[in-house]
Amino acid sequence: MFLRPFLNQRSPIGSNPPMRLLLLLAGLVLAVPALSAASNTAPASGALGLFKDDSQTCMRCHWMETMAYRDRETREIVNLSIDTQAYRHSVHAELSCSDCHAHGYSHYPHRSSSADENLQCVGCHETHADAGAPGLIGLEQEYANSVHVVEGVEDFSCFACHNPHTFKPAGGREPIAEVVARTNGVCLDCHEELLTPVPQGHDWLPKPQAHWRSVRCLDCHTPVQGRVPEHPSHQILPAAESNQLCVDCHTRGSALLSQLYNYRAAQGLERQGFFAQALYNEAYIVGMSRNRLLDGISLSVLALTILGVAAHGYGRYRAYRKRETS
Amino acid sequence: MSALYLYPAWLRLWHWLNALLFLTLLVTGLSMHYSLHWLVPFEVAVPVHNTAGMLLTGFWLAFVAGNLWGGNGKHYRIDLRTLPHDLMVQTRYYLHGIFVGAPHPFHVSAENKLNALQTLSYIGVMFGLMPILILSGWSFLFSTALPDTLFGVGTVWIVAMVHLTTSWMLALFLIVHIYIITTGETPTTNLKAMISGWHEGHEDASKP
Repeated sequence: MFLRPFLNQRSPIGSNPPMRLLLLLAGLVLAVPALSAASNTAPASGALGLFKDDSQTCMRCHWMETMAYRDRETREIVNLSIDTQAYRHSVHAELSCSDCHAHGYSHYPHRSSSADENLQCVGCHETHADAGAPGLIGLEQEYANSVHVVEGVEDFSCFACHNPHTFKPAGGREPIAEVVARTNGVCLDCHEELLTPVPQGHDWLPKPQAHWRSVRCLDCHTPVQGRVPEHPSHQILPAAESNQLCVDCHTRGSALLSQLYNYRAAQGLERQGFFAQALYNEAYIVGMSRNRLLDGISLSVLALTILGVAAHGYGRYRAYRKRETS
Repeated sequence: MSALYLYPAWLRLWHWLNALLFLTLLVTGLSMHYSLHWLVPFEVAVPVHNTAGMLLTGFWLAFVAGNLWGGNGKHYRIDLRTLPHDLMVQTRYYLHGIFVGAPHPFHVSAENKLNALQTLSYIGVMFGLMPILILSGWSFLFSTALPDTLFGVGTVWIVAMVHLTTSWMLALFLIVHIYIITTGETPTTNLKAMISGWHEGHEDASKP
């Protein structure tokens, strides 16, 4: 499609064989980014898991927003509907229902034991690593050490925080503020006690709301050591062990500074393009440029200079008055 | 005594817009550096600082182009043979002569606007500090394109320190610059010249 205008040319340039080759190459160069851009967007509808045959059978019922039942023991409503729009945009969009829910669903109504299939993200990702699923190496250990597991929070699993039917990782073209809001929303879904202007346990933190708009909960509530920006640690720390050192983010030599700055700058770049990125760069972190020694020396030199020129000016004024009177 | 048309309109416009950008960058930079929310709110300071920095880059490029091809470069040429003498004379005037009513050792002319000290300091600022400031500023904005560490230290921190140091030095230049312009024939001679273009109280340079 991209090459046709070049190949159909009957101009002297087009009829020149070396030039034609050059144009063909130029056409390819133009076409490749366009093709790869197309492959970065949501998969074509044919590749979507929910459109595969076996999924169609499931979705005959599960597309309904009111698809739910009341659990006999807990008396809570269990939602069984699948938000098709959210699923289409999730990281799992290519999977069909049976890729995860493999057994026990061939009969209707489904047996109640089917719900106890005990799915785990890590297990699934290890078995399907060859199919392109990220390995999630070390995640199981981090998870095992997280406060939710150590303190034995009831019924806690991957799915307490992540909904595999809607989950999508941070990155791409999503604005930073939205990534932060979405990621923090996972925590605040349960920790409703923190939905106050000065959240409980955070009264030591200056401008808590400003922090919450631009920093993820897990930026402070996971270990500082060994961080990889693209793969946040799953070892959620208890309040007492969480990072309360301002300088870990706000000064030089911090473990977080370069990571946070570059991560945010990269996000901004991807989102906005060259000049807009420069204008609306959100990556500056207060304190990142502060250096006590350098600031001290500079302010002293500035103060001495101001004193010096003031004294010089006063001397000139005195000399002028003296000349006037004499 | 006469008046000399020293600064054409384009030059005065360049100077004052440059000054405005300088002040904007100084105020927003201070606000960002020390988190002075009362001075300029952080969410305003960052885009304004970035915008002014980009515009200042354009102004600096215009300055370089004007010097290379516009004929303004003649004011920034140094004569190494006369420089030590001129520097000494000028320094002695600021330290002594100015207090005893000695005549200005340097006479402004259309061909020679800047005395030896001015020439040296302007060369240092425009061809030394400004390129460093501009490059470090852009490095901040596109730090993802730089290596994570340089000599074992985070690159962003090195960039930050270079930007900070040149900023402080330029703030120092600004203070001295503002004071020095009051040392003309009268305290406001030079300021008025940069506003109207006309240098009043000018002594003819051809006279001894």
